[in-house]
Order: sequence, then structure tokens, then C-alpha cells
Amino acid sequence: MGIDFELLHKIKGVIECPSPDKDIRRFDANLRLFPPFLDNDMCPLTIKNTLLQSCYLRNTEWACGVAVYTGNETKLGMSRGIAEPKLTAVDAMIDKLTGAIFVFQIVVVIVLGIAGNIWKNTEAKKQWYVEYPNESPWYELLIIPLRFELLCSIMIPISIKVSLDLVKSLYAKFIDWDDQMVDLETRIRSHATNTAISEDLGQVEYILTDKTGTLTENKMIFKRCCIRGTFYGNENGDALSDAELLNAVSTGSTDVIQFLKVMAICNTVVPIQSNTGVISYKAQSQDEEALVRAAASLHMVFVNKNGNVLEINFNGLLLRYEVLDILEFTSDRKRMSVVVKCCLSGKIYLLSKGADEAILPLARSGQQTRTFSEAVEQYAQLGLRTLCLASRELDDDEYREWSLMFKEANSKLVDREWRVAEVCQRLEHDFEILGVAAIEDRLQDGVPETISTLRKAGINFWMLTGDKQNTAIQIALSCNFVSPEPKGQLLLLSGKTEDEVCRSLERVLLTMRITNTEPKDVAFVVDGWALEIALKHYRKAFTELAILSRTAICCRVTPSQKAQLVELLKSCDYRTLAIGDGGNDVRMIQQADIGVGISGREGLQAARAADYSIGKFRFLTRLILVHGRYSYNRTAFLSQYSFYKSLLICFIQIFFSFISGVSGTSLFNSVSLMAYNVFYTSIPVLVSVLDKDLSENTVMQHPQILFYCQAGRLLNPSTFAGWFGRALFHAIVVFVITIHSFVFEKSEMEEVSMVALSGCIWLQAFVVALETNSFTILQHLAIWGNLVAFYAINLIVSAIPSSEMHTIMFRLCRQPLYWTTIILITMAGMGPVLALKYFRYTYRSSKINILQQAERLGGPILSLGNIESQSRSLEKDISPLSISQPKNRNPVYEPLLSDSPSATRRSIGPGTPFDFFQSQTRLSSTYMRNSKDN
Amino acid sequence: MNSNTPSSSAGGIGSADTTGARRNSKRPKYSRFTQQELPACKPILTPKWVISAFLLVSIVFIPIGVVSLYASRDVVEIVHRYDTDCIPADARNDKVGFIQSPRVKTCNRTLRVPKYMKKPIYIYYQLDNFYQNHRRYVKSRSDQQLRKTGSENDTSACKPEDNNGMTIVPCGLVAWSLFNDTYNFTRNNQLLAINKRGISWKSDRDHKFGKDVYPKNFQNSTLIGGAHLDPLKPLSEQEDLIVWMRTAALPTFRKLYGKIETDLQAGDFINVTLENNYNTYSFDGKKKLVLSTTSWLGGKNDFLGKAYLTVGGLCFFLATWRSIIFVMESESRSLNKLLTDILVNAFLGTT
Repeated sequence: MGIDFELLHKIKGVIECPSPDKDIRRFDANLRLFPPFLDNDMCPLTIKNTLLQSCYLRNTEWACGVAVYTGNETKLGMSRGIAEPKLTAVDAMIDKLTGAIFVFQIVVVIVLGIAGNIWKNTEAKKQWYVEYPNESPWYELLIIPLRFELLCSIMIPISIKVSLDLVKSLYAKFIDWDDQMVDLETRIRSHATNTAISEDLGQVEYILTDKTGTLTENKMIFKRCCIRGTFYGNENGDALSDAELLNAVSTGSTDVIQFLKVMAICNTVVPIQSNTGVISYKAQSQDEEALVRAAASLHMVFVNKNGNVLEINFNGLLLRYEVLDILEFTSDRKRMSVVVKCCLSGKIYLLSKGADEAILPLARSGQQTRTFSEAVEQYAQLGLRTLCLASRELDDDEYREWSLMFKEANSKLVDREWRVAEVCQRLEHDFEILGVAAIEDRLQDGVPETISTLRKAGINFWMLTGDKQNTAIQIALSCNFVSPEPKGQLLLLSGKTEDEVCRSLERVLLTMRITNTEPKDVAFVVDGWALEIALKHYRKAFTELAILSRTAICCRVTPSQKAQLVELLKSCDYRTLAIGDGGNDVRMIQQADIGVGISGREGLQAARAADYSIGKFRFLTRLILVHGRYSYNRTAFLSQYSFYKSLLICFIQIFFSFISGVSGTSLFNSVSLMAYNVFYTSIPVLVSVLDKDLSENTVMQHPQILFYCQAGRLLNPSTFAGWFGRALFHAIVVFVITIHSFVFEKSEMEEVSMVALSGCIWLQAFVVALETNSFTILQHLAIWGNLVAFYAINLIVSAIPSSEMHTIMFRLCRQPLYWTTIILITMAGMGPVLALKYFRYTYRSSKINILQQAERLGGPILSLGNIESQSRSLEKDISPLSISQPKNRNPVYEPLLSDSPSATRRSIGPGTPFDFFQSQTRLSSTYMRNSKDN
Repeated sequence: MNSNTPSSSAGGIGSADTTGARRNSKRPKYSRFTQQELPACKPILTPKWVISAFLLVSIVFIPIGVVSLYASRDVVEIVHRYDTDCIPADARNDKVGFIQSPRVKTCNRTLRVPKYMKKPIYIYYQLDNFYQNHRRYVKSRSDQQLRKTGSENDTSACKPEDNNGMTIVPCGLVAWSLFNDTYNFTRNNQLLAINKRGISWKSDRDHKFGKDVYPKNFQNSTLIGGAHLDPLKPLSEQEDLIVWMRTAALPTFRKLYGKIETDLQAGDFINVTLENNYNTYSFDGKKKLVLSTTSWLGGKNDFLGKAYLTVGGLCFFLATWRSIIFVMESESRSLNKLLTDILVNAFLGTT
């Protein structure tokens, strides 16, 4: 406004603004300054005049401003929202199991409490040496149950939470440290913001991905164009080197020059000239930058922007244009326009560019737009992004009249956006269509491979994009998202009205159900409009479709629709992963079970909101197959093991209560109990964070193995029952052997307690060793070092005269009886476990076992066909176990000692080696399950 | 037309080349731990491995079992139950009444030595169905009080035998119910000396029971539990009490009474004069007198030997069974292969 610097502090005025809201795209306010500066002239303030909290101001050294909202009332503060804490499926399962154990504990306490009171009233009364008083108040009845409650409280391992937190943060660190997930171009490392949900990565079933910037590089390059019906760049695929176009530019073809002018002017790009004279462009939109660059290389160089005046250098000729108004791009309007005045001729032009459906219908009557729509069609087929360029010369009067309306609309407080759009509409008509520009957005490295690998791992992909349907489909084809005909089939779900959508939906569903029995890649394609209707009115049918379909392409969807789709899949009990790079993906990323952000060109917004940020889409394979899978396996073992060891010691206490008059005597002293949970048993198992059942290469080559994680095969009630059984069995072994070896004169309390405790320690060390798949030096240190530490600690405690167990450990260690008992406990406890594990390994070997075998015995990994035939020959001698029923996602019955179960098996023909997760069975079973739920 | 379809392969190669050089400059210090690539040994359950493990266990276990069984067999043990026999015939209907009455309870028993018993011969008393591990019982003691004179009044844990007007030393149910049967042995009318020194743990005498703590006010209340203590002897010398205070974890237990320091010949008859004072009748407990020698493994107990033999035997069985199957399988596999080859050759005529 040209106010003097000294007068700045004297400005007085009023800002009328709406009450704080969380819409960061809108700020409809007015500024009114008091005299003497400007008389009551309303000055519209929009989001363009606004700086949001924690924004960076660029390209200027200073700015004057007024704080409008502060603190939590800022737009960012309002929209911050409380990020829902994410709970992994594994955690949910652990919680469930904890609940079950709690119920079991209560039952045990009640039963033992009643038994204890009965024993007390019958037997204990006769035992004079216990001196039970003859009469006691009623609440004495509660004492024995309470004692048992105290005794059984260790049944629920408290240490599990601590251990899990510890290992989870280590999983996250492994992701941060991973050298193979560093983007070498941008030097961005992968980062796990949320350290608590790594296990979920291994259980992902659906990946919802953004297209631009996620699958593609978001590096726009102007490739082709069609100017007035002439196609450029079709021969060599690059219009910039098309001799015909260069020729047209040098001969000064009006159409071409006009086209180039729109390319260079109709944008919000800021050129920055460095000292060496090289011009670089700063643009909010990658498309605009691509256009300006292309124009520059065609000798229409956008040199300078001085206030509102643009300088264009065309073949050495300096053209100046004054920008009068900018009609902003919005996702509803799908076009943007500028009104410029040529400084030479004084003529006013409206220059527009936008999506074909937003421009072509507005062509002046008489102009044929067919060539352009054909061009758009053709370019979209190639997966290029298209922009239609148009212009119109305006009368001075028309402009002046419109300008007033525009200003008025811009200073509206209510519905400003809508009003502005309406006013813009009034100017944007009768276009002279100049041509179509096609911009290529290259696929990122390794995207097709990533998608096909993860698809093999049984993960379903949905693409959610704001782009055109055709572009989306082309990208989908080029990155293995959908297979080309005849293998793949695309089902279009479209329609503008409820009826149309309904009919279309039914048709798609019908086809989907039929083709489910065929090994065919079926995907459905839906656009934002039909999606809106489907979600609103036919939610149930659409949900069914979502369950049936492994692949979907949703185009023209808004950020909130993306989030709704995530919500829909989550409501069907699927684990979803959303990956995106831009601000429009933030909601989807936050909504999904796992949000992955790509720290790309569209800034860090998505990466900040996400649980994991990676540099490139292809790192997703490693993130899921390596980190997710290992995390799941490790946590599954660690959590169940924690229950096992607590149950083991608790069962022994319960057994002991039967030979101690059900009085609630603790066999173990409190120090041992505490050290057992905190120390002896938690340290060896912590190193299971380094365990790898299969090498990374094997997993990458056979991604199907992820199925075990997805279906929760390693941690579910039946595997837990196995661990429960193991705890019971081991408790019986320890208890029975102890009380039969240390009998009569040796049945001294402290000694018996120490023998039982050492038995538990030895057993658990061997259990950890048996369940460990790969021993590094750290594992050996932790497992065997822990045993040594156990003896060292107990010997030290035994040396303290005032301790309860003074000299006990020295006495025991000198006795051959002690050592023979311990060896017996260990072997009697581990022998059956080893035998059962071995039998399952040979006769009911899971695919993990087969791969382990191949990996470790075969040197170079055998082809899977060989593995299959080998395993089948082993299967011959047992009863026919092949189950023809479809594989259920729900865990099935597992025998004792389950850790990597594969109770259902299907006989696999030689023709389909290793294809054990045939899509249709899985789908139909999940479908059946879900329809039941509904 | 299709020449310009976005394809990743071309781009992939290009970018790999340009970034290859930068690789080293950016990478942080490589560590096998951070990359989860520590060298690891990855055993799997191969038949050979499992069979040899089981075989090894059986090879180790069976000899140990045999040796333990022999050790247990070498122990000579005389167990004599006397609780019923030592009640006079007229009082057998009311055993509890008899034991609580002030009648003379001396009782003579004769034991026959079945085998040569080498000294030292340990004398135990064995109680059955006696819950020394009952929570109420096992907690009812004060280790502080036993150790130091100063902590005499530290009797909070000892209820209900903590004081009877004055503090009881040693307090608590455990001490109160001290076993009080006594035994005297004669062989051929010659008294067999019983050594009652050193029957308790040395560490208990030195550290747990004070040398300057004397019994006080013990068994003075109306309800008398078990044995009385010599108030002139410090607790550290009351070895019967020290033994008794080491509570047993099982309801059937033996406690050392003394040692006989002479050899006993096979066929010797030993007369035992015992004072049958202790009341096990109210809870149907048994009382036994046990004379036993020891082996390197302790007393007579076949359990360990039998368990070792069982586990070893099972392991051996498992190992043999698995190896037979393993051999058969590999043979049938090669046989199958041979047969297929022959058939293929016969039908197709290929060589």
C-alpha cells in the first residue's frame, strides 16, 4: 500500500475475521484501516494474506503482520486434533490373552480359596501345632483366597510391558539404522516416528497408496502437446526436441506463440535470477514449473516478475504483462486463470489452464473441441497428465465490471470460496482453446517390482488418486498394479445418479463373484463422484465389493474420501497401511493402522504425520517383509514366552500349595521371585530381537511367507494354548522331580525351593535356545551367561549370613544329587518338547520350516518345486491330512508347543509349486467370514 | 506410441549409476549390529541332529541311572514304625487321650539289622502327614530373636506363641512344637552311643542361633507343645531345636536325631528304648524310626535312578525308531528314483 516506514506504527484499523476454525485453506476476513491512511475502504484478506503457525516465509527479508489468532486458537492449533494412539493387532491379542489369564487366575484363586478353607476346617483343626483358634470372625474366610491371589499375582507378567517397550524401540531403531533404506539421491534415511507399531507392518493386508509422488517421482516433464490440432512430440516422445515445433516457434506461428505465452504466463511461478544469470523457478505446483521450463526452452523465457509485472523474453524481444487478477486453482474448479494486460497494446487477456473437463466445455461456440478431447484421450492412454490451455481477449468494460464483482466476492465473510468461484465462472467462458499440454510424471524406481513382490506376499493394493481415471489406469498398468487384458480385468463403477451407481455396483459385484473362482486379476475402478454416492447409500454393497476385490483404483477422490476408504477397510477388520507424500494424504495416513509418508517433493507434511517415513516407495518391501515380519515374529515369541515363564513358576506354587495344606505357602522366597521375573528370565529373551527365522534374502524371494504373519499364525489363542501347555508340563516336571529327589531328610524348605528355581531357570534357558533360530554371539552370551549369572548371584546371596538362603547354594552345588536332579529336570522337560517340535518339523512342517531347510541345507536355495516334492515324499507315511476346505484367516487348531504352526495343509499339485495362498480361497473365506459378521 | 510409457527399468539403471559414487560419503559407520547382520549360527532340526542328540542323552543317562540305582541299593535302611505299637493295648481306643495323659510312655522295640551297616549310621525320626510347610506354621518364628539377645522382643511374627505374659525365647509355633520322642539303643545289652553333636548345619550354629541366646519362659504356658529346652544351654548348642527349625517342604520328612559311630553287623538285634511323647495321633500322623547309612547320592532313594533309566530308555527308543525311519525313507526315496528311472527308460527308450 506504499506506507512509509516511519508511519507504520501509526496505522490503526480493524480486522473483521470469523471465529477460529480449523480450515487451513480458508481465511475470509476484511481489513479496514482508519484515517488518515485509507478511508473506510474494505480490504479483503484471504488465506493468501495469512501466515499459518510455524510456516517459513521465503523470498523476502521481512514482512509486516498482525497476529489474528494465537495459541490454541490458531488454525493449526485447532486442526491439530488428538492423534489416536494406535494399538497393534499383536498388542490387542496380548491384551486379550492377558484378560484370559486374569480370568484363569481368578478361577484358580476361588477354587484354591474354597479348598483351603475346607482343608482348614477339617484337617487343620486336628493339627494342634498350627494352633488355629476355634472361633474366628467371618472375614477369616477371605484370608486364604487373598493369600492365593497374592501367590498367583505373578501369573500375569508385568515385565512383558517393559520388555515389549524395549524391543519395540529397538525395532524402530533398526528401521532408522537400515542402510538399505536410505534414499541415495536425497540422502533421506527411513525413520520410524511411531516406535510402537512395528509388528503391524508384518500384518498388513491392504496398502492404500497415493499415486503422484508416491508411485511416481512427482518430477514433471513437459513431453507432448497438441496445438490447434497439430500433435507435437508424437514421433520422438519429446516435444521439446520436435523439429516441427522448433520450426513453428522460429517461424512465429501465432497459435504456437500464443500457446507458449499461456504456458509462461498463466501461473504463479516466481523466477529467481542468480548472479550468474541462470534463472531458476520457484513454484507451488510441479505442473506449472514444468510448463514454464518447457516454454523457456522453446525461447519463451519468463525472465522476471516485478510486482505485478511479468517480463517475458521471446527470442530477444522483451514482452511485459501486468497481472491484474489471479483466479485461483481450487480442486472444485479444476482450472486456474490469470487476467493480464499487455503493456504494449494495453489489451486485456484472460489466460486459463486446467483439466479438460473444466476447460473444453467452455470453448467458444463454433470451435471444434474434438481434436482436443482426442488428444487428451490419447495422452491419458500413455499415462501422461494433461492440461488444456485456453485464452480469451476481454473488453475493458467487461473486465472493469467483473473486477468489481470479484473484489466484492473476495471480501465476503461468508461462503467466500463459493462466491468467488461463481464470479470466476462469469469470466471464464467462450474460451479460445489453444491446445493441450501433456506432462509426464515418471514412475519411481522399482515401483512395479515392489508392487508385484508385495502382491505375492498377499497384500492387496488400492490406489487412491486425485488424477483422471485414464491416467490412473495407465499408471496402474505400467506399475503392475493391474494386469493387462486378458489376465486382468477392470470393472468400472461409475454413474452420476444414485440409480446408475446402484446398477453399476450390482453389475460389478456380480462379475466379481463369478470371476472369483477364476485365477484372474480383477480390479474395480471408481471415481470420486460414484464413490461418494456408493459410500453414502450403498455402503453395505460397496463394503462387500471392497472385501472381494484385491485391487481397486479410485480416481478423483478427495482427501476425506481417502480417509473414508481407509475407515471402511478398517471396519472390515483388515490391517491397512496408507502411503502418501502430500498434504492431501495426511488424513488417510493418520486414519490407517499404519501411515507411511514419503519424504518427497511435496514437502514433509505427510512424512511428519506418518508413523514411518521413507525416501522411496520401493523401501516399502523391506519395511514390510523384513522389518515388519521380523518384528511380528519376535514379539510373538517374546510375549508368549513371557506368559510361559510366569505361568511356569505360578503352576509350581499352585502345586506346592497342595502339599502344604492349601494354606498358601510360597515355595520361593520373595527375592527369588522378584529376580526370576525381572532378571533371570527377561534378559535371555530380550536378545530374541536379534533372532531371524529366515534370512532377509529368502524372505524377499518368497514373500508368500508373510502370510504367517498376516493371518496371525504365530500369536493367537491356539499357539498360546501350546505355551500354556508347555508351562503346565514343565511345572509338573520340575515339581515332581524335585519333590521325589529331595525327599525325607533332604526336604528342607530353602533347598527344595532353590532346586525348583534352578530347574525353572535351566528349562527356560533351553526353551529360549530351542526357539531361537539363529544364534549370534549376543544370544549365546545372554542365554548361557544368564545361567552363569544365576549361579553367581545366588552364590553371592548365599554368602550373606543374614539372608534367608545363607549357605544354601553352596550346600547344593556340592551335592551330586543337586546336579543329577537338575540334569534330569532339563532333559525330562526338554526331551518331549524337542521331540514334538521335531515331529512337527518333519511331518507337519510349515512353509517357514521348508524354507529354513532349503536355506540352510541346500546352500543355494532350491527352487520351490523341489522343496514341495521333497516334503510330499515325507508326508506319504502319515494319514491323509490334506484338507480341501479353504484356508481360513482365523487361526486353526494347533497342537501343543505351537510356535510356527501350519495345521491346515493342502496337497499341492506339481503344477502349482508353492502357490499355497491361492487368492480365491482366501478371498472367499474372508468374504464368508465378513458376511457372517455383517 | 508405446515408446514413451513410463518405465522404471531405464530410470533405475540411470540413478544407480549416478548415486554409486556418493554411497560411501553419506553412509554412517556401518555396523553389523545396526544392520542386523551379526554372524549367526542357524541350527535346524535335521534328523541326524535330533537322532544324535537323543542318542547322546541316552548314552549319558543310562549309566548315570545304573550308578544311582546301585548307590541307592548300597544304602542300608531300617525303617520302623512305632506310633501304634507303642501305645499300650488298653489305650488304643483313645490314643490322643493316652498321649496327653501323664502316664509312662516308655516303649521297647527290637530292630534287626538286615545287612552290614557301615558307620556312621544316621538315626532319623520320620513324621508323616505333618505339615511343617503350613503357612501359619512356617512363618511363626523369629530369626532375629534366635540370633541375638538384643532382639528378644522381636516376636511379632511368632503369634500365637509369642508370649505368655513374658516373652518366649525361642518363640513361635515351630519351636513350640519341637519333637520330643527320645531313643536309646542297646546291642547285646550294651549301650550304643548316640552322637548328637554336629547333627545340625554348622552355618546354623554359627550364624542363625546365637551363642548367648538362652531359652526363656519356654513351654511355660498351659498348653504344652513339644519338647522342653535346657535353659542353661545356649540355642547354638540345642542341636535338636536347630534341626527342627529347618522346616521341611514336604508333609513327610525325616530329621536327623543322631549318629551311631560303630558298624552294625548283619543279623544284629538292636533294642530301642524310646519315650513315645510326641502327639501325632490327633491328626493320624505316623512316626517312624529310621537307621540308615548314606551313599554319595544321599539316602535310599530309587527315584532318581529309575527316572534316569526311563528318560535314557525313552531317548534311546526314540533315537532308534527315528533312525530306522530315516534310513528307510532315504532308501525308499532312492528306490523310488531308481524305479522311476527304469520305467522311464523302459517306456521312452532313452538311456
